[in-house]
Amino acid sequence: MEQNNNLTAQQSLQIISETFNNSRKGILRNSAKYFMLWGALLTVTSLVVYLLWHFTGKPQWNFLWFAMPAIGYPAAALLGRSDAAVPQNEVSKMLSSVWGVFGAFAVTLSAIAVALVPMNVSLIIVILFGLAECVSGALLKNWPITICGFLLGIGGAVVAMLVKSEAQLLIFTLAGILLLVTGFIMKLQYK
Amino acid sequence: MFPKLDPLLHSELRLAVMSILAGVESADFTYIRTQTGATAGNLSVQIEKLDAAGYITVEKGFKGRKPCTTCRITPAGQEAFGKYVEALKEYLSSGAS
Repeated sequence: MEQNNNLTAQQSLQIISETFNNSRKGILRNSAKYFMLWGALLTVTSLVVYLLWHFTGKPQWNFLWFAMPAIGYPAAALLGRSDAAVPQNEVSKMLSSVWGVFGAFAVTLSAIAVALVPMNVSLIIVILFGLAECVSGALLKNWPITICGFLLGIGGAVVAMLVKSEAQLLIFTLAGILLLVTGFIMKLQYK
Repeated sequence: MFPKLDPLLHSELRLAVMSILAGVESADFTYIRTQTGATAGNLSVQIEKLDAAGYITVEKGFKGRKPCTTCRITPAGQEAFGKYVEALKEYLSSGAS
């Protein structure tokens, strides 16, 4: 693009809408990789903890959950370094905030449940997850993501109340897959 | 009578720069150059013009060890951009081009 001062009104509007949309798409496409990173981590962690608990009968393997933020946050920071030039817009900032808040609640509640007050952490986290996924879908104006988030939150809460011990963890495998799918959808939606 | 189009914005590259900055909090020079496909020299000149008009602010700093120029739209720039778009809409709704 070079200098052209003899624009018609249509050309001007076309430049505005094309530039604005391309920039928006690029920013949201860039956000997709964070969904994929956390989705992959959640899927792997939940499966590993499930299998170890299932075959050894020891619920202490749940401490492995704390490895997830320990790996995820530095990995996300590394990913962010590679795209330092990509700015944030309102939607990507809100997505970061929603999942940042979710992460803070999930880690803090898990720590409290382990150290202070025992509680059904799976139930609380799956509801928070469904809520965060629903809000993400609404921000991205993507109904499948919103509906999947809603179904996972509500369905996961029911399963967390009905199913005991390690089988509960499979809800989070499903949640991880949903995050991965969300990332793929974003990649396709903002191609 | 149609409102006069802001001559500073009525230019392909400057308009593209303002369109990018209107949708983000801030953007660095490299990103704007990639998005517009402009040459570094030409982009620098146009950014200086927008900065001189008070439509954007330009901050030179470092990201790690690399130099980094960050551009941000100002409230005056947002207002001018909004007026420009409104004026365009009036032109188009009247059938003029």
